[in-house]
Amino acid sequence: MSKENIKTLNRKKSGQSGWSRFINNNNTVGYTFLAPFIIGFFAFTLIPMGTSLFYSFTNFNMIDKMDFVGFQNYIDLFNDERFTNSLWVTVQYVFLSVPLKLAFALLIAFVLTRPSKLVSFYRSLYYLPSLIGGSVAVALVWKQIFARKGLINMNLIAMGLDTVNWFGNGDIAKWPIILMTVWQFGSSMLIFAAGLKEIPGTYYEAAKIDGANGWQMFFRITLPCLSPIILFNLVMQLISSFMVFTQAYVITSGGPNDATMYYALYVYKVGINERRMGYASAMSWVMLIIMGLATFLVFKTSKHWVFDESAES
Amino acid sequence: MNFKKIFAVLLAAVLCMSLFACNPVTPTEKETEKQTEAPTEKQTDATTEEELEDVTLRMAWWGSQNRHDRTIAVIELYESIHPNIHIEYEFYDFNGYFDKLATLVAANDVWDIFQMGSNFPTYASKIEYLNKYIEDGTIDVSGTSEAFLRICADAEGNQAGLCSGINTYGIAYDPAIFAECGIAEPTENWTWEEFEAACLKIHEVKGIYGFSKFDDWQAGCRLLIGQTAGNDFYKLDNSGLGFDDYKLLVPFIQMRIDLVEAGAYPDEGALNEISDIENDFLVTGEAAMTWVASNQFKALAEAAGRELKLINPPKLTADGPAGISVQSSQMLCVSSDSENPAEAAKFIAYFQSDITANLILAAERGIPTFYAVRDALQPTLDSNTRKVYDYVDLVGNLPTGGDRINPIDPACTDENKNQYLYLIAKAVAGDMTADECAKEFYDFAASREY
Repeated sequence: MSKENIKTLNRKKSGQSGWSRFINNNNTVGYTFLAPFIIGFFAFTLIPMGTSLFYSFTNFNMIDKMDFVGFQNYIDLFNDERFTNSLWVTVQYVFLSVPLKLAFALLIAFVLTRPSKLVSFYRSLYYLPSLIGGSVAVALVWKQIFARKGLINMNLIAMGLDTVNWFGNGDIAKWPIILMTVWQFGSSMLIFAAGLKEIPGTYYEAAKIDGANGWQMFFRITLPCLSPIILFNLVMQLISSFMVFTQAYVITSGGPNDATMYYALYVYKVGINERRMGYASAMSWVMLIIMGLATFLVFKTSKHWVFDESAES
Repeated sequence: MNFKKIFAVLLAAVLCMSLFACNPVTPTEKETEKQTEAPTEKQTDATTEEELEDVTLRMAWWGSQNRHDRTIAVIELYESIHPNIHIEYEFYDFNGYFDKLATLVAANDVWDIFQMGSNFPTYASKIEYLNKYIEDGTIDVSGTSEAFLRICADAEGNQAGLCSGINTYGIAYDPAIFAECGIAEPTENWTWEEFEAACLKIHEVKGIYGFSKFDDWQAGCRLLIGQTAGNDFYKLDNSGLGFDDYKLLVPFIQMRIDLVEAGAYPDEGALNEISDIENDFLVTGEAAMTWVASNQFKALAEAAGRELKLINPPKLTADGPAGISVQSSQMLCVSSDSENPAEAAKFIAYFQSDITANLILAAERGIPTFYAVRDALQPTLDSNTRKVYDYVDLVGNLPTGGDRINPIDPACTDENKNQYLYLIAKAVAGDMTADECAKEFYDFAASREY
């Protein structure tokens, strides 16, 4: 068959019209299915990011003022003690909540790998807090539980102990919020559980024959084999912890004395509450840099503690 | 088995999930839609109905549950009289309202009808002035006075809105607790010293808080400075601070520190438990006094369900100025983003001057400024509202120290307010002395742009 013939045949196959060739084209199909994400990405991520970068060099107040101020917002940040404080309490929160959450998630995931019929039931049960976790409703419940006359203090009284002023004391106020974060360990747990399943049983059998005990097996086999998953969970939790907002906004409003005035909450307060959108945008970009740095550091150190099986063999 | 592959799949999954997490429709908006879609009673007054095209107006306000219920009832009444008008409403607490407004301002999508306070000059670019609707008769102002119109206008005479009522600040207290503790009830000439002593005594006798919650900004800045001879917090033309000595701010801060330390005033954690006037510690019986805007006294007393009384805030000296004055509590404005400003103006006129509507509203936003409404409400007043009327009369006759009332706030007020609240929390936590707190705040406020 000549080339000409093949072409006409193809045209016949595809219904001959240009439109149907277009609609049956692989690229068209691909982009159509991608469209929801691409539109969302542009409308809700990329364009807002671009405008916020622009605002960060202005004194935009959302109403009538928008003059170019250069790097003034960024310079002002370093003279703002509330900003420094918010950075400090956020870092504190991240360093306390992320390891606790991951340890807890790993523990539960590990316990739930045992062959038992109830495992999937328990797994769903432990995942439940994560489903409802980020919501305002749970934060309100938390606020009630830790209130002056809330569930916890009432039980402390019943046990003959002194009550704890949870949200009135700057040193204590962060703990209920950290606890709430740790309590939502479900998604990390599921990922850990999937990772645990992937570890070949032969490793354990061999270790057992060599006389290794449970602890040795956990630290010599489970942890190294799981380290890529740990890295993934660590990075994801690190990022989401830096953005902590809802709990603090609903439960403490940043108090007492700014002890829970986390970074994102302060951005909100300055940007929406005081309408200093330019300054708040600058703050958001600094946050992006900080989070980027933290993630970069984790990846950099991961070479030394993440075990890559394919590279070894 | 390759963990890198798993890693990549997981990352992709997270990307997808983060997209779904962006859901712009909040449940409250959905609810509001549902509520507004509820069928309204249609009156078969077919003569005008058919020619009129459907108009949808959006309206928002802040306030307590009591206000929400009353306002919604009036909106539904208005819709039943004007079947072509549909009003979608939203309501918030005070802070939530202004947060939402800020985003709508930036989006050029402010509600057609919206509530405003003394900070209206900040939003001037979003306010459709009512002057032309008053001139063309859409809004009939013959039932009110020039003075009541002026309290909702700027210095150039632009009518920003129609006053919803006049009010003033005061202190609500429980006379039974005062009697129980053997303390004389406050009089209009009581001082801050007497106030502090009462708080401490109440805490000592009853173990409860003496006072529930100050509006620290109103009490510690606006009121206190107004009580010092010849000063005001801002200059009359808002061109800067109206006082020179930061030490004038110290007594209130010191008192706040001392009262919290003594346990006679809630700490920040406890204060944060008060979400609304309905669960104020005075209502729950955990405090003997609280700060209240006079128009909210009725809601407060009804929530408490026992006898409460209203008195002016303490003074610096018994014979000194009271520092408070009668003001417009709030107004309704038409937004310059509105597509139907005339219809919005019509609704506002109805809302403020119609007698049936105001019998429902029951002066909850303050004492009405239309005389016919006032007269119609007179016979219906319950004892709590009567107390408010008497109190506003009392304040109207208190010496203010001259005619130097400035009803309008400069644009930097929110920043000043946030800074004051931040510093007072620091002082209460013991991070700084009252003097340092006052000095730092004064320097901050003085260095703002006016």
